[in-house]
Amino acid sequence: MAFYEQHIHDAPTTFLSKYIFSYDHKVIGKQFLWYGILFLGIGGIMALMIRWTLAFPGQAFPILGNFLFPATGGVVPADTYAMLFTMHGTIMIFYAITPILIGCFGNYLIPLMIGARDMAFPLLNMLSFHLAALSGVLLLAGLFTPLGAAAGGWTSYPTLSTLIGSPGVGQTLWTLAIFVLGVSSTMGAINYITTIITLRAPGMGYFDMPLSIWGLGLTAVLNAIFLPVLGAGCLLLVFDRVFGTAFFLAGAAATSGTGDPILFQHVFWIFGHPEVYILILPAWGIVSDLLSFFSRKPAFGAKATALSMTTITILSTVVYGHHMYTTQMSPLLTQSFMTLTMTISIPSAIFFANWLGTLWKGSIRFHSPMLFSLGVVFVFGLGGLTGLYLATVTTDLYLHDTYFVVGHFHYTMAASVLLGGFAATYFWMPKMFGTMMNEFWAKVHFWITILGLNGIFMGMMIVGYAGMHRRLYNPFIYEFAQRMIDINTFVTWSAITMGLAQFIFVFNFVHAVFFKKEKASANPWEVGTLEWTIPSPAPHYNFKDIPVVKCGPHEYGNPALTGDVDFQFQTEELAKS
Amino acid sequence: MSEAISMNTMTKERYGRRLTSSIAMTVVLVTFSMLFASFFLGFTVFRITSDVWPPMGFERIDLFLPTLSTVIIMMSSFTMWKFDSLFFSEGKEKKIWFFATIFLGFSFMASQVLLWTDLHSKGIYVQDGIFPSIIYSFTWVHAAHVIVAWMALFYLLPTLKVGVMIPSYENRVINVGKFWHFLGIVWLIMYVTLFLI
Repeated sequence: MAFYEQHIHDAPTTFLSKYIFSYDHKVIGKQFLWYGILFLGIGGIMALMIRWTLAFPGQAFPILGNFLFPATGGVVPADTYAMLFTMHGTIMIFYAITPILIGCFGNYLIPLMIGARDMAFPLLNMLSFHLAALSGVLLLAGLFTPLGAAAGGWTSYPTLSTLIGSPGVGQTLWTLAIFVLGVSSTMGAINYITTIITLRAPGMGYFDMPLSIWGLGLTAVLNAIFLPVLGAGCLLLVFDRVFGTAFFLAGAAATSGTGDPILFQHVFWIFGHPEVYILILPAWGIVSDLLSFFSRKPAFGAKATALSMTTITILSTVVYGHHMYTTQMSPLLTQSFMTLTMTISIPSAIFFANWLGTLWKGSIRFHSPMLFSLGVVFVFGLGGLTGLYLATVTTDLYLHDTYFVVGHFHYTMAASVLLGGFAATYFWMPKMFGTMMNEFWAKVHFWITILGLNGIFMGMMIVGYAGMHRRLYNPFIYEFAQRMIDINTFVTWSAITMGLAQFIFVFNFVHAVFFKKEKASANPWEVGTLEWTIPSPAPHYNFKDIPVVKCGPHEYGNPALTGDVDFQFQTEELAKS
Repeated sequence: MSEAISMNTMTKERYGRRLTSSIAMTVVLVTFSMLFASFFLGFTVFRITSDVWPPMGFERIDLFLPTLSTVIIMMSSFTMWKFDSLFFSEGKEKKIWFFATIFLGFSFMASQVLLWTDLHSKGIYVQDGIFPSIIYSFTWVHAAHVIVAWMALFYLLPTLKVGVMIPSYENRVINVGKFWHFLGIVWLIMYVTLFLI
């Protein structure tokens, strides 16, 4: 703990050193937030185009359609549709959720919550954001190439992603962009892991860390181990595309000799399954903390929650094969992967029960961060349960290429992570920007969002169960699917409603950051973790004096507490009667 | 790195920064190990599913150049270790080991270029199938890392000055050293798996 104390450097004074090339973890966190929100908007518009096509086949996409697709009179063309779902998936996963939850809150929270003045390597931290920005430019550049952006799906399976399936530059740019983003995330992971191990405030053991830090730390471990695996796959794919190697080309596709397209799937999912947890662990950690903060109770079984998250992290590395049941894997392997995947239910159930235990008989304060956290509990429950059908070989074989899978992974990876991101943004807003967002509009935003996303993803699971294929431009050419147009229309209207509701958030956010005059107090939510012991917004170099930790992060409702507060700071001795 | 300065003479800050640097470098090496491990996973798949190896009528790569590369990189690991252990001392000796490492690093790259030229002269090109794809791509990626590590050696030039402030440079020496040895180990695995067996 606190192996050394970081020096206090002078605050930057120029615009460039303060906002663009900043070494300060808080500014870098905010840069990632703006970056993530920008891409959330781009990915969201793409989602609406996909949904519009599925609800109103052959009809022009409103407003933007004529501008973007003049050749078809505003209708999304079939080849563009493949590009849209590829780019939507890629952007949302790698360029929206990852920067917001890991880039923004990882950078912002880790030093503040463990009582450090900055990350262990501030220069590396700055570089990680600029590499992420470069990666974003590379990805979007694909949209302006002659044959358009990548269209091989977010998984970019060969041969869809080789020169035969995607002849343009777009897919090469996609692969390079993902590689560069991987390097950026690895830099972040190096910083997160080192900072958590070496810069914790004196007195802070691992179990005194807030669960948010547990989630972010475990995510960093997964990133450090598994991003290079994707990096290796991307490098070989680039070599296939640019230098004519044959790693992922089989049969006639290879000029001579033969590679193996399925090998890419192995490499992709060895990374890809841990990626699910890379995205969700920070949200789980944050929600575990917020449920305790707003229930005014210690987190139930906090150690068990932390250990369950660790167990899931470990198990997540040995279950990747459940994404590949339909690749004619050996039955022995499929059964092994099924068993291992099912095993994840055990630690998941433990911490889910701990969440409920935290809520049980709590003095719940239904502020907006709490509403979003409860939303996570609800949607993650649904996402987790529906995952069991896909972990089971027999049901997965039927459901695999249907919208059931889309609904399931959107519940787990989109809905719960997005809601977790909103919960965190509303909660740490005062510490980040010194103002609070409007509570009324935050609640309106929550209710429309939660209703909207359930309409979307539940609808997707229903049509998927009924057999609607998940990648077709027009699934309604099949007679049995024609009856599903109405429910697709419902899903699309839910998506439009939810999409519009996000403007409420954007206006609320922009207003609070730039226009709100009323400043937030140091600790508006009455929470005891270290970042709330310093003024809002957090000052340059965070803590003038490094705090000494004397108790855990969730000390609420102790009957021995005196005064009119029901919590105590981590810097205070535990109240004893 | 020598333990010439014992822990009790080390300030808490210096110890902390050394530990921090060591943890970070461990994470870096884990990530690079995973990158190369993924390549070897791919190689293993092709190797064990192929009836004959090398496949498609290719002959084994002549061992002379890969063996030469192996000898050079192992020698460079030794010279780097000698420089590492003499870092705390003054005098010419550490300069000799340092420049020997630079020279051997360059020689390793030269031996790799010779390997690629030799393959080209035999009409084996990267796009000819999975076997040359593996040989070229793996050696390219390894060579790219060696170039980075070789450039990092120049980052250690200030440590050759007389009266160098050891605490300012010790972490970079330790880390560049670890990376250099790591690349030697990776090459050794490549030599055994790609060329020998």
